[in-house]
Amino acid sequence: MASVQERVKEVTARVLKVDPGRIKPTDNFAADLGAESVQSIELVATFEEEFGIEMDEEEALSVDTVSSAAEFITKVCREQGVEV
Amino acid sequence: MTTLNKTHPLVDTTEPNLLEDTFDYNLPPLIHFEDHPAIEYIDGEPVEFDFNSVKSRDIVVTDTTFRDGQQARPPYKVEQMVKIYDMLARLGGPNGVIRQTEFFLYTKNDRETLERCRALGHKYPECTGWIRAVKGDFRLVKEAGLKETGMLTSSSDYHIFDKLKFKSRKECMDSYCEVVDAAFEAGVRPRCHLEDLTRADIDGFVLPFVERLMEMSSQVPDEQSVKIRLCDTMGFGISYPNAKLPRSIPKLIYKLNRELGVPSDRLEWHGHNDFHKVHANAATAWLYGCNAVNGTLFGFGERTGNPPVEGAIMEYIALKGDLCGIDTTVIRELADYMRSIGLPIPDNYPFVGKHFNTTRAGIHAGGLRRNERIYNIFDTAKLLGRPPRVAITDKSGADGVALWVNEFFNLKGDQRISKIKVHKLARWVMDQYEVEHRLTAISDEELEAKTRELMPDYWAKYKG
Repeated sequence: MASVQERVKEVTARVLKVDPGRIKPTDNFAADLGAESVQSIELVATFEEEFGIEMDEEEALSVDTVSSAAEFITKVCREQGVEV
Repeated sequence: MTTLNKTHPLVDTTEPNLLEDTFDYNLPPLIHFEDHPAIEYIDGEPVEFDFNSVKSRDIVVTDTTFRDGQQARPPYKVEQMVKIYDMLARLGGPNGVIRQTEFFLYTKNDRETLERCRALGHKYPECTGWIRAVKGDFRLVKEAGLKETGMLTSSSDYHIFDKLKFKSRKECMDSYCEVVDAAFEAGVRPRCHLEDLTRADIDGFVLPFVERLMEMSSQVPDEQSVKIRLCDTMGFGISYPNAKLPRSIPKLIYKLNRELGVPSDRLEWHGHNDFHKVHANAATAWLYGCNAVNGTLFGFGERTGNPPVEGAIMEYIALKGDLCGIDTTVIRELADYMRSIGLPIPDNYPFVGKHFNTTRAGIHAGGLRRNERIYNIFDTAKLLGRPPRVAITDKSGADGVALWVNEFFNLKGDQRISKIKVHKLARWVMDQYEVEHRLTAISDEELEAKTRELMPDYWAKYKG
């Protein structure tokens, strides 16, 4: 199974319509990858679908980089008993 | 002029101060005055006005929807006036905050309206008449069994000389006083409407006239003493401190109330909105000693209209600090009814406009989602039957869409759907503008259809 970070990159590329090869862990979703308001919501929703988890809206939307998203999702998966 | 160098250290806190002694969400925001009186210089002398007295004074609203209000639109049908009168009674409550209303008396319809309103048996609003300042018209008042009637006693030289064609002010005053005498003889209380007061020669005509009316009133029982309606016919009245007569509302009321001794409960303010001042001017009149404010529903009246009755009602509650028996939900009923009979209320009209508490900006919608009080003036759902709404446009964002969806499904508290869950609907909205280049707001009907399509599980759960 692909790592959490790889899956986060793949979802990000799909939602934001960017080349996955371009995405770096330190990239900020808004500043570096051009995520606008609705796209940020779509990212969180797609992460939820991808990983089968429910995220707190405010906490999820405060995560701003690819690597911190991977960390946050890993934590939530552990809390919700989802294997990654 | 000295400047005070005061420092203002930050008062830090980790708990928000929501100023709830003023912004009690269950009422319109309360109006608090300082403990010391306001001072206005009048004729070179400082005069004190205790605004806190408004809490204990019997301030009231009087209505002229069927008179001035009817001058600005096609005539109401009898049954329409009876229904509106019934709702005015419910709005003002058992304490008669809406104390009186006035009716024409000239036609068969006028008289039938009055009869049917009185047959409803409401103590308030009391029914009064409105007639020309013509002696013979008192017959109509007496036949109708009314105890009080308004009559025009125009007070500016524009009216005295140019409209009424009197040869002198004395001739005019004598003519008015003859009619007042006729009122007394008929056993009716005359309410003299000082038309165009804010453009009149106050010292030269108005004060001598009212002085004479007071003297005449001293000869009759108290319940017949003349009432005075201060008519700001052209909207020239000004509330500002230090404004001069004849436009200064504080000075006008002071002259009548304290110099001439007309009691506050026999003074009534009637304004017009030609300079956007109508509501503030009416509230000012209350503060400076005029107990009654005369208005029309939703401000509809001659030209730019009159003090809106519903505005005066909200101001009343804010000044008194209590509902005082008023049923504010009737304001919405009245608006719905008036629209149904053709009264055009603008969408952004306070308290009753279709979008008076609709937010369009996404950032405002975000605030509303966190705490309704952030962008809603008071509990509009409770007081007006109108929860805050969001209009969906290109500015709404996911916050706006989430707010709309939660309101549509009537979800509260923990039941509310997060904005993450509405992402498909939010995307559809955004694409309407960015991809389809739409220019208009998205209607509720469209959003309902799309919600059903894009959020089928929620639809089934809450609408199924």
